[in-house]
Amino acid sequence: MLPRRIYQFLIIYVLGIGLLFVIKLVLNLSDYVIPGPLSVWHTGREEWYRYAADVMDTFGVAVVGQVISIFMAVAVGVAGRKATWFGSFIKVAAYNVQAYPIVAIAPILFILLGDGFVTRLFIAAMICYFPLLLSVIGIMSEPVSDIEHFYRVTGRLRWQLEIKIRAFENLYKLTTVISGSATLAMAGTIVAEFIAANAGIGYSIRIALYQSDLSKILVALFVIGITLSIYQGFLEVLGKGVKKAWTGGGS
Amino acid sequence: MSLLSCSDIRFQYPGAENVLFDGLTFSIARPGFHALFGPSGIGKTTLAKIISGDIGPLSGQVEATGEAPCLYTYNRERLPGWSSVGRHIEKSTPMGRESLRDDLIRQFGLSSLMGMRFSTLSMGQCNRVNLLRYLLQDFGLLIMDESLANVDEATRQTILYKIKATFPASGFLYISHNVVEVARFCDQILVCRGVKKSPRIKCIEGQDHKKDQPLDEKRLEASMLEIMNAA
Repeated sequence: MLPRRIYQFLIIYVLGIGLLFVIKLVLNLSDYVIPGPLSVWHTGREEWYRYAADVMDTFGVAVVGQVISIFMAVAVGVAGRKATWFGSFIKVAAYNVQAYPIVAIAPILFILLGDGFVTRLFIAAMICYFPLLLSVIGIMSEPVSDIEHFYRVTGRLRWQLEIKIRAFENLYKLTTVISGSATLAMAGTIVAEFIAANAGIGYSIRIALYQSDLSKILVALFVIGITLSIYQGFLEVLGKGVKKAWTGGGS
Repeated sequence: MSLLSCSDIRFQYPGAENVLFDGLTFSIARPGFHALFGPSGIGKTTLAKIISGDIGPLSGQVEATGEAPCLYTYNRERLPGWSSVGRHIEKSTPMGRESLRDDLIRQFGLSSLMGMRFSTLSMGQCNRVNLLRYLLQDFGLLIMDESLANVDEATRQTILYKIKATFPASGFLYISHNVVEVARFCDQILVCRGVKKSPRIKCIEGQDHKKDQPLDEKRLEASMLEIMNAA
């Protein structure tokens, strides 16, 4: 699972960078527009450590933001699962708010909270919170009648059991959504750094953009991609482990 | 007062063109093992859900005697997969019924399955496990909707005799398509009939056969014929 994620990323990255080189060759573009393979290689050797540290900085914020958003989505999703006034309100609010791009309010957050850690964390958490919330609400508000019936008619269906049944029956969906939200959290953090922060790989990409240095951007993308692939692969392995432990090794 | 009394039941599924039940009235006089019989799609499951209170009729009344609730169980129910069948049954056994549980597990031929997960069982095994946990609960009337589907005939017979011997004071409503089975084991057989037939439900006396009782083949054949004619 983990190696497959890395292979997939490497294939996409090589295809992408290959396409850029083909465009460079076909249109006879200068190294200033699209650098050659050697230039990218040299930049990679020079910047690798700095960019890796920047990516780790961004990654740390993204992971904390993702964890916060998972807890928030589960808490609100559980509260909003019932067909009550409150449940309907939460669902409608979630659908409407998620339709609005959180990145668009990022400048307001930077103005109010400054360009430090808290703003980056807030934006990362918000960007992956709403898609997670919609998935959690969808899963938690769908009864598993074949299992819940017995507990309901015998008066044993407490809310904890109801959530446990629905989470267990949708474990694959939940782990996939959580694994997928890692990309959102990372993207959110990078976008936040790109807009106004003073640290992280998004900030480094912004500087590279001002220098019109595509080599640096390509190297940064490589480090981001490989880090995210490893993290997503790790989440999938973790999800599989949780499922195996919970189901007693069954399918 | 009868075990179950339904009067003037009217029911129509939302969006459906036809009324499923209109003025449906019937009763079950005494506790015992009774059946609800009829062709597929006639409304047996809907009626069972109305009786158990899972769905409400548009009008009419359902009255059951006693304090104990009416439970409805069906053959597609599942147990959660996070622990073994034995652990689930153990957790859903009310206090003081442990010996009944162990006896039923043995009689239903489930002893060797207690350490297994529900998802690894065959359909017949799943149905037996599910029925067993309902039998351990408090109930005045238990509606068994195809609860012994996919169970072989010999085991089904053992289970039905065991239920009748263990719960003589409780009421059962067994939904099945097996005419021989309902005619042999059931006391009253409520035959659900087509919309155009009147009355919609016809009550026929079954043989209510018990384990150590001789089987009256002629009476059984007569009951079967009566059921088929009524349906």
